[in-house]
Amino acid sequence: MPILSEFEYFKPSSVREAVRLLSKHKKPAVLAGGTDLINNLKEEIDQPDAVIDIKGIKELSGITYKNGVLTIGAAVTFSELLDSRVIQSRFPVIAEVAKTVGSVGIRNRATMAGNICSAVACADSGPLLAAYEALILVRGSKGKRKVLAAKWFKGNKRTDIKKAELVTAIEIPLPARRHAGCYVKLGRYSGEDLAQASVLILALPGKQYRVALGAVSPVPVRASKIERLLNGQHLSDELIAKCQALIPGLISPITDIRATKEYRSHMCQVMFARGIRAAASRFSGNGPEYGVNLI
Amino acid sequence: MKKKLSFVLNDRKITLEIAAQEVLLEVLRDKLGVKSPKCGCDRGDCGTCTVLMNGKTVRSCIVLAVEADGQRLTTLEGLMKDGQMTPLQQSFLEHNSFQCGFCAPGVILAATELLERNPKPSGDEIKEAISGNLCRCTGYLPIVEAIANVNNALTPPGRERLGKKVRS
Amino acid sequence: MNGLKFVGHEEIRIDGKPKITGAAQFVDDLDFGPGLLYAEIVESPLAHAEIKSIDTAKAEQMPGVVKVVSGKDFPFRFGLYMHDRFVFAQDRVRFVGEQVAAVIARDPVTAKKAAKLVKVRYRELPAILNVEDALKPHPLLIHPDLKSYKHVPWFFPQANSNIAHWRKVRKGDVEAGFKQADLVFEDTYTVPRYAHCAIETHGAVGLFDYSGRLTVWAASQSPFTQRNLFAEALAPLGLSHKDVRVIAPFVGGGFGGKAGVSMEILAAALATAVQGNPVKILWSRAQEFYNTYQRQGLTAKTKIGVKKDGAIVALEQTLHWDAGAYVEYGANVVNAAGLSATGPYRIPNVKIDSCCVYTNLPPGGPYRGFGYSEFLFGLESHINETAKKLGLDPVEFRRRNAIQEGDPLTYGSKMNPNGLIECIDKAARAIEWSKKEQSENPKTVRGKGFACFWKAPAMPPNASSTAFIKFNEDGSLNVLVSAMEIGQGFQTVMAQIAAEVLTVPLSKIRVELPDTDRNPYEWQTVASHITWGTGNAVKRAAEDCREQILELVERALGQKREDLYLESETVRSRSVADFALPLRDFAINGIMMKDGTYRGGPIVGRGMFMPEFSSALSDAETSQGGKPNVHYTVGAAAVEIEIDKETGRVRIPRVALAVDVGKAINPGLVRDQVVGGLVQGIATALYEDMRFDAKGRLLNPNFTDYKIPTAMDVPERVIPILVEVAQPDGPYGARGVGEHTMIPAAPMIANAVENALGIRIKSMPITAEKIALAIKSKR
Ligand code: FES
Ligand code: FES
Repeated sequence: MPILSEFEYFKPSSVREAVRLLSKHKKPAVLAGGTDLINNLKEEIDQPDAVIDIKGIKELSGITYKNGVLTIGAAVTFSELLDSRVIQSRFPVIAEVAKTVGSVGIRNRATMAGNICSAVACADSGPLLAAYEALILVRGSKGKRKVLAAKWFKGNKRTDIKKAELVTAIEIPLPARRHAGCYVKLGRYSGEDLAQASVLILALPGKQYRVALGAVSPVPVRASKIERLLNGQHLSDELIAKCQALIPGLISPITDIRATKEYRSHMCQVMFARGIRAAASRFSGNGPEYGVNLI
Repeated sequence: MKKKLSFVLNDRKITLEIAAQEVLLEVLRDKLGVKSPKCGCDRGDCGTCTVLMNGKTVRSCIVLAVEADGQRLTTLEGLMKDGQMTPLQQSFLEHNSFQCGFCAPGVILAATELLERNPKPSGDEIKEAISGNLCRCTGYLPIVEAIANVNNALTPPGRERLGKKVRS
Repeated sequence: MNGLKFVGHEEIRIDGKPKITGAAQFVDDLDFGPGLLYAEIVESPLAHAEIKSIDTAKAEQMPGVVKVVSGKDFPFRFGLYMHDRFVFAQDRVRFVGEQVAAVIARDPVTAKKAAKLVKVRYRELPAILNVEDALKPHPLLIHPDLKSYKHVPWFFPQANSNIAHWRKVRKGDVEAGFKQADLVFEDTYTVPRYAHCAIETHGAVGLFDYSGRLTVWAASQSPFTQRNLFAEALAPLGLSHKDVRVIAPFVGGGFGGKAGVSMEILAAALATAVQGNPVKILWSRAQEFYNTYQRQGLTAKTKIGVKKDGAIVALEQTLHWDAGAYVEYGANVVNAAGLSATGPYRIPNVKIDSCCVYTNLPPGGPYRGFGYSEFLFGLESHINETAKKLGLDPVEFRRRNAIQEGDPLTYGSKMNPNGLIECIDKAARAIEWSKKEQSENPKTVRGKGFACFWKAPAMPPNASSTAFIKFNEDGSLNVLVSAMEIGQGFQTVMAQIAAEVLTVPLSKIRVELPDTDRNPYEWQTVASHITWGTGNAVKRAAEDCREQILELVERALGQKREDLYLESETVRSRSVADFALPLRDFAINGIMMKDGTYRGGPIVGRGMFMPEFSSALSDAETSQGGKPNVHYTVGAAAVEIEIDKETGRVRIPRVALAVDVGKAINPGLVRDQVVGGLVQGIATALYEDMRFDAKGRLLNPNFTDYKIPTAMDVPERVIPILVEVAQPDGPYGARGVGEHTMIPAAPMIANAVENALGIRIKSMPITAEKIALAIKSKR
């Protein structure tokens, strides 16, 4: 299907130029991987006057790790996240999330920044960034700002981005000297699917945990109530059951053609139980390999 | 507004002028006559439009043609060297790893990328690597079998149970 | 049958190289030059409405638009078995997505933009979106003129109703049967609509040239049927069959979806509107879902009567098919299922009502299995439940009732030779049926499921196949048939048959794709009948060549006819040891005599096959008499599954399918059919499903939400088992197998789920969600 509407295409080589182009146009669209944008152009959901391809901007293309902070450039693809040594060694759960995004041909293009700018409720990066308390780095004509992931997501497909702003990077602070995690994603089958529910868990020293849920509310849900219950405690079956019982109160799943709200809610509890055990055992060095599907 | 772009397609340099909104799949098929990338879904779901961009698979139905500027593209037409099929293609032939063949160009490119990175993939790695390429005919096992056999990698589960005799 | 050199061997496919080098051309890959025009369809947004007006003025004014057409330009009805479908909607639309008008433009972008400018005003009518509403007393009629529609003599439309066809089968005395029975019970099973999802969408290009000849290039399983329907539908334009030509390049998967005529009629019609220019119409993936054919939905009420010893004495089947807005093809699915809804069992007293019901959903039609997958879901689930109630092993129960050669069929004639019992035993053994599997993981539980299946080709009694074989100078040959290569590998199979008779290796045989001008008649590539029907035709054509060759050698060289035979592309004689005449020496140019004259000339063989014993005429109230089905292919399938009790997810460690193919011409290709068919069937059992909203709009017309299996969703082991009880009238004993491998999948899975959990799920698909929530509510 051809794209019906016409637009100008720019491939700036600096963030400054990109921001200038963004502010110059009425309805600009940012192109990174394009896996959402091109479909939206075809379906006329987006009808921009300018498409600004950020893949030519060097400073957006790297993954760096410095002073306990991982910085993922806005043009970094999920495949690059999967292949990154520093991610594999220090943030393996990021790779675990990346592996569930689409399939190879999608991951070779799609970016995490794009994922959180599209900000659909089922975005895989949502619960990840919520749990890591990541910062979204944004540049506009008036300068830079950093937005906490919890403040970034405003609703299904709505974010904190302002007109003529560009996401330049995502900063993920290492939460502790040593940590482990687990991402469990519900799809309708083993192949590529959009999450119908997802659970992300981080296990930190001192039996501290972070829990975030995806696709069961317009924005990722950080389950602080559950975290409070868990923190410092031994992971007993009763404790897990108590946490599970809290889940329905924290989420607002919908029924659509992908799943009913009953199943989403039920599965959040199942996935939480499996995820927390996996995260905890990974923390102690004997959990399941990262990337195995727990459901 | 037309944009001029140039890229290498199957080892040949191409320069052409196109509009910004033109999609790579359509430019390849309709302007350059390269027909092996097919349009199965037109929204990134099926993998039949797969091409290699700098050695990595992309879905050309969701890539703008202008994005190919300065890149190196390979389609199934460009895999053969001196008219010889690659060992992977040969393996597809020997294992009857296709039926209608519509998915084959995409599947073969996805497997090419995999074998480049991982010459002896396990059955599960093969399945993961081609899971973005939908095939409605084969039930995939013959495809997995063909890929696994290229470098005599591990026998994937399910293969010997297909009960195929080795063909001479 | 020993000593076969090609038949029965695992030859490598002859369509391999083009397909894996990218050389194979599909319809959208063909070039038509700068004159090519593009059509875009204006579709109905409503499920049921009257068309008040169509305003095309704005669209026509757009630069680049060549023509805008609508129903008034093509007031024609068409259809394969019943003329109830329209080229373009006339005064009413009957499903969301129905074609109302078309814009033809110089480029696709203009066509799309202009299509948006066509303004259609509707008066919305209440939409009938399910069978219950359609069957209410005094329903709104979807086809008020039903009674006047032309149809085949074996259809029985019901006046003043939405029932387009009602197949009634009455055999024995079903009430007496239930009285005799020790156990009678009934249940209802439902099957939603499904989509074929061939990865290539439909596409067609039409050219009506200035000489008045119409050529259509189409992704089609049915080039000759299309030619016939185009010529019939467009006869008012003065077209004769000889002036219509259909060319079918490689087809990217069919599964029944590209049988008959659906959107291709548009290419034919639109071409006549822009004489001199080819016009292309290509379905998007979404259109592929909602405006071709869908597999029909089914509500099946099944009532069975059995004796304590396990003998089935009576069966009543009430099958209500949600056939959609047009049933020109789908009604025959209903018919075929009705005639065979006993499954492969010997049952003395039978009552079947198979009703084809119009609804305001997209047209139903043929899909691999042709109704059998649908009714067998209920029947084979019910058989399992019956066995359970009787305390019998479900495999043993099936074995006791399995139909055998000579048993009377529902319509009176006799069952063909078959290896059903052998299939049952081998499938059971392959998964160690009697061994109870323990799961190591406390969260999971294992179960095993079994299902038998059968299917006959559903064809008109005079469905024919023909073949030409032409020799070339070097002794190579071209086989001309009009069967279609939709992936099943028929070209290789035909080549093997020709090779066997003529002793020419496959490397020297081409089997051409259909072109109705050049290749001889074939009814359609459907019904799993090609190996059987076209195979017979090719065998006869090859034998015709052989006769010509041997006769010529006798005539020209005085060799004794009865001693002559072919071996390795050479004519040899049993009586003259050193006589050897290679085919290439004379296949085109004949044999030179001493005086320099020649005998013979190009060898061209002809073969035809029509099942002259078949008849579809029978009593309307009972279906007795006639022989509507040429034979049944039977088999059995067995599966072991593991269910995660919390998530409801099903894993398939192994699955076996045994099928009696009569004779596997190419066993490798048959096994490939088993793998592909099972995977397709298992997907309908576990997750595929078409969803409609309350307005009749399809909610998942894409692969994002209509999930078809990926490489990660296949069973861990597939065990294909080929049983060979020869079909007496098949080539080398072969009968069809393409569809059959999909049919048992759904009930087999349902039975395994029941076996594992004690939960009977009676509606497809049996999703992880359904299983998990059922377990939860059982607790
Ligand atoms: S056509 Fe591009 S992914 Fe399907
Ligand atoms: S061979 Fe037909 S889709 Fe793969």
